[in-house]
Amino acid sequence: MKQTPERIEALAAEYVLGSLQGAARRRFERWMVGSSAVRQEVRFWEERLGELSTALPEQAPPASVWQGVSRRLWPSRERSAASVPVARTQAQGVSGWARWFWPGWSLAATAAAVVLALLLGVNPGTRDTGAELALSGAVVQPDVDDPLWLVSETANQNQLRLRPVAATAANPGKDYELWVVPETGAPLSLGVLTAGNVTVIPLDDRLRKVLASSRTLAISLEPRGGSPTGAPTGPILHVAKLYSL
Amino acid sequence: MVDSMDEQEPLMRLLLATAREDRLAFQQLYDRVSSRLFGLCLKLAGQRELAEEALQDAFVQIWHRAGDYHRDRGTPLNWMMGIARYRTLDLMRARKSRATVGDESLADLDDGRDGPLEQSLKDAGATRLTGCLNELSDVQRDSILLSYYRGLTHEELALALSSPIGTVKSWIRRGLMALKRCLEQ
Repeated sequence: MKQTPERIEALAAEYVLGSLQGAARRRFERWMVGSSAVRQEVRFWEERLGELSTALPEQAPPASVWQGVSRRLWPSRERSAASVPVARTQAQGVSGWARWFWPGWSLAATAAAVVLALLLGVNPGTRDTGAELALSGAVVQPDVDDPLWLVSETANQNQLRLRPVAATAANPGKDYELWVVPETGAPLSLGVLTAGNVTVIPLDDRLRKVLASSRTLAISLEPRGGSPTGAPTGPILHVAKLYSL
Repeated sequence: MVDSMDEQEPLMRLLLATAREDRLAFQQLYDRVSSRLFGLCLKLAGQRELAEEALQDAFVQIWHRAGDYHRDRGTPLNWMMGIARYRTLDLMRARKSRATVGDESLADLDDGRDGPLEQSLKDAGATRLTGCLNELSDVQRDSILLSYYRGLTHEELALALSSPIGTVKSWIRRGLMALKRCLEQ
């Protein structure tokens, strides 16, 4: 079929409208590849008819859509290995608050090295409205592909959720305990953490405030049931920094 | 106005960052526009499953094609809406699926004159387009809007409007040409 200006004009409109179909549509797409005049005509309609699209009401998609997108773009192995934009050394990450609080804490002696990871794919529905920052992040360990726990804060429900992914149970007679680490002052207990189930921790105003400013969590190994003193007594296994998404 | 530069500038920044493979920017982009795109996919497809699949495909494409975007392809939002729309149409064709073709599609697509559609078009700053659509005959206008919003084929349109297919084709063709003349004035 010859590409006359009249044909281009008529077919471009129907192409954008969607009513040009089948073999005719595919032929027209070949025309677009070969001719800037055809592309220009298509753009005219895309822009003008595009206004019809923007007039439609918004519909929030289910979270599974984002999960699907991130799964397809970044398969999990690559995601945990390559998408660690902030991988600080322990010394940089914790020295400010930890040195004074656990004077005996030797960086080299900790059981697990700490990497701070921002994991995309956590908390996909959250809008960063500024007023309600929702934090998320991951507790990771360099020799383990997957994060140990995924952390997310649901801002409007005042909850912190930790979902175990690659976490393994604490040794018999021991428990993991989660702490929020303030910028200054002693860590505040958020309770005992399990490796088997999602842990949901309600946050009161004070905890939220501290978390919002320091954005730092720590996990220590404690006797079963948690620290008897209200302060960490065992080794600090992990430190995780949260990010607002 | 939905298309104001206030909204487009941040989208432009996020899209440029996405082109540099900034995942966080991409997620922020998703957070900002996914509801807009999903509203469109859902309206077109008439069913959630297909709309969700199309939206997912569209964002995978947006990630890969962000580097192709430039200003003369329209606003960032329109460019992304276009990707979502074409992907939805492709899937609908591939599945030959259309939830409803008959009276229902006509009933819940208001005819756009003085209805909620016209109002939302005006709110979206599409006063020019609205004005020009109003100059078309009812059947021209209906067949264009049904094609656009519902992705109806000529055959489905003929069925929906109880008219011969040749007639429907000429409504669309003449309607579009009249629309173009009006928009170009």
